[in-house]
Amino acid sequence: MRKKFISSLKIFWPEFHKRKGNIHLEPFYTFTDYQHLWTMSIFVLALTALIPLCIVTLIHYQLIQKSVDSELRLRTERLTSNAKRSVAFFMEERLNALIFTVDEMGYDHLIDNKKLVEILKNLKHGFGGLSDLSVIDMGGNQIAYAGPFNLQGKNYKDQPWFAQGLKNKYFISEVFTGYRELPHIIIAVRSVKKDGSIFILRATLDTERLMQTLTSYKTGEYIDIFLVNNNGVLQTPSVHYGDIFTRTDLKTFNYSTRTEVSMSTCQGVPVILGHSFISTDTVVTPFILVVSKKKQDMMYAWLELRQKINWTVGISVILIVLVITFASTFMVNKLYQIDNAKAQTMLQMEQNQQLASIGQLAAGVAHEINNPLAVINQTAGYVKDLFSFKDEVRDDDEIIENIDSILEAVDRCGTITRQLLGFVRQFDIKIKKVRLKKIVADVLSFHKKESEYRGIHVTVDIPDTIPDMETDSGKLQQILVNLVNNAFQAVTEDGCLDIIGSQIDTETIELVIQDTGCGISEDSLAKIHEPFFSTKQDQMGTGLGLSITYGLVKKLGGNISVHSTEGVGTSFTITLPIKIQERELA
Amino acid sequence: MKIILVDDEQKFITMLAKRLAMRGIKADIAFTGDEAIQKSRDTVYDVAVLDIKMPGISGIQLKNKLSGLDPELKFIFVTGHGAVGQSDENLIDTDVYLAKPLDIENLIKKIYEITKTG
Repeated sequence: MRKKFISSLKIFWPEFHKRKGNIHLEPFYTFTDYQHLWTMSIFVLALTALIPLCIVTLIHYQLIQKSVDSELRLRTERLTSNAKRSVAFFMEERLNALIFTVDEMGYDHLIDNKKLVEILKNLKHGFGGLSDLSVIDMGGNQIAYAGPFNLQGKNYKDQPWFAQGLKNKYFISEVFTGYRELPHIIIAVRSVKKDGSIFILRATLDTERLMQTLTSYKTGEYIDIFLVNNNGVLQTPSVHYGDIFTRTDLKTFNYSTRTEVSMSTCQGVPVILGHSFISTDTVVTPFILVVSKKKQDMMYAWLELRQKINWTVGISVILIVLVITFASTFMVNKLYQIDNAKAQTMLQMEQNQQLASIGQLAAGVAHEINNPLAVINQTAGYVKDLFSFKDEVRDDDEIIENIDSILEAVDRCGTITRQLLGFVRQFDIKIKKVRLKKIVADVLSFHKKESEYRGIHVTVDIPDTIPDMETDSGKLQQILVNLVNNAFQAVTEDGCLDIIGSQIDTETIELVIQDTGCGISEDSLAKIHEPFFSTKQDQMGTGLGLSITYGLVKKLGGNISVHSTEGVGTSFTITLPIKIQERELA
Repeated sequence: MKIILVDDEQKFITMLAKRLAMRGIKADIAFTGDEAIQKSRDTVYDVAVLDIKMPGISGIQLKNKLSGLDPELKFIFVTGHGAVGQSDENLIDTDVYLAKPLDIENLIKKIYEITKTG
């Protein structure tokens, strides 16, 4: 599973990292710095894809932020206006009821306590929200009182609201505790007796009822609705700012009939503040209705959306980078493979050209040597003949022996020059009739001395029944030379090399070259046909031998396979068509 | 049996002629193609042993000319350029090719072979 995962990661890892430095191959590469090409490709593609994504995301953020802000403002403004209208209506309704009572009843009627109680009862019944009712003369003396508190005969001359009550025809006070030591609001209506003196009808508003009205506008936990006076003192309890009569840090609002919304902070937390001055048609109250919303709570939906956007953008970025890395790796890999193949072909061409010119030179040399060799051969033969045909020296073994050594040396030189010339011919692409057994023998003759010195047992088992092949003898020879060379390098002293040929069917022969050498490790086995893979680092192996062999076998229309066990030996099996098709050589 | 040896390598054919004589085969020698044509006009040979690569007339051209003079004449080619199987289109299968340096016993064997079959 882990291996599978690691191997799947390879699609993101370019092949050129595995490249082994080969100084022969380097000059033929079109691109020298594949690492740079790969990173630049990823960088440029990623930049092209990610910059627009980031810009669009930022613009989207700003747009949403703006629309959320404006939506919040609008909602706060609406809520503030509605709550203000309710509170104003609450006060105006009770004030109007009081005005109506004064106008209808008259002073004499009102100072009758029994009647006043009756009036309070009717008012409570009709409107509610009133807790007591009293009549006060110009001197501040309470003439009549109806209500639950024992306030009969109290004097209000020194109370701040009394002065205001005398001054204004209609008056609504702030919340204060007064004699009853409970928070309450006073509504007062100034009127004139028959004798022209002034009296005040005062009613106390039930603050509980007011608070209920405010609370009914609380549509969520994060909304705080309360009243403050012009000095920022709380007139009703607030969730954010504290209990009633607490002095808040709310800035002094400028009087306006309109509802206004502003941004502020409450204990360091950003809040949206909506405020509106409460006034009726007849009187201006000291109250300001304030709606406070913590922005963070209100922004919850937007924050959740933003988180979703962030996740989507994040995953998109990762996907884009992955796809770009995959695409870049794929493209650079293809480029590298093509470049590599080109470089190898160029190198092979160069090597072939070098080999060809060396071959031509060798052929020339061999030809030139053959003529003097022929002269030595015949002259020495003649001398030998002279002695052989003369009776007096016929039995002189020493002379015959010496001449024989000359002839043998000439013969050996002749064999070498013939083989040299044989190899030159491998560059001509020509199909010829080839005897497999002879080609194997030719190739092995190069290693004759080596096998003798090292005690390597070479066995050739190619039956004479195998028909002559029609193939490119030069290529076949090269294949055999490479495989036999490898086998000789692999085996130690007293090792074995077996070459076994057999005919599989009328069209195919099989040749097995097996040795008892060091074998090939499993890792290396997968790579041996790759060009420039060599385990012979110290021995200056080019790593081309087996890849050329592989290519040549394919060119001859055959197949090559290898089986190897480390420490036991290696066996190469080649199958070749007996008669090669012309097109296969092209 | 009479044969003619043609090669610009004078010492080579001189020695070869002497050795063949020792083995009972009479061989004339010619160092150039022209000389060989001249000699074959005077004498009828059974076999001509020709070097392929010679200055002036090459072994192949010489074969054509000598065949014109004597259609019965058999040819053995000797070459310093590698072993048997030269890829020269002018050579035909019935001709015999031998590589230098030459094994005299092999040459004699071939001479007898072609004169018998011919």
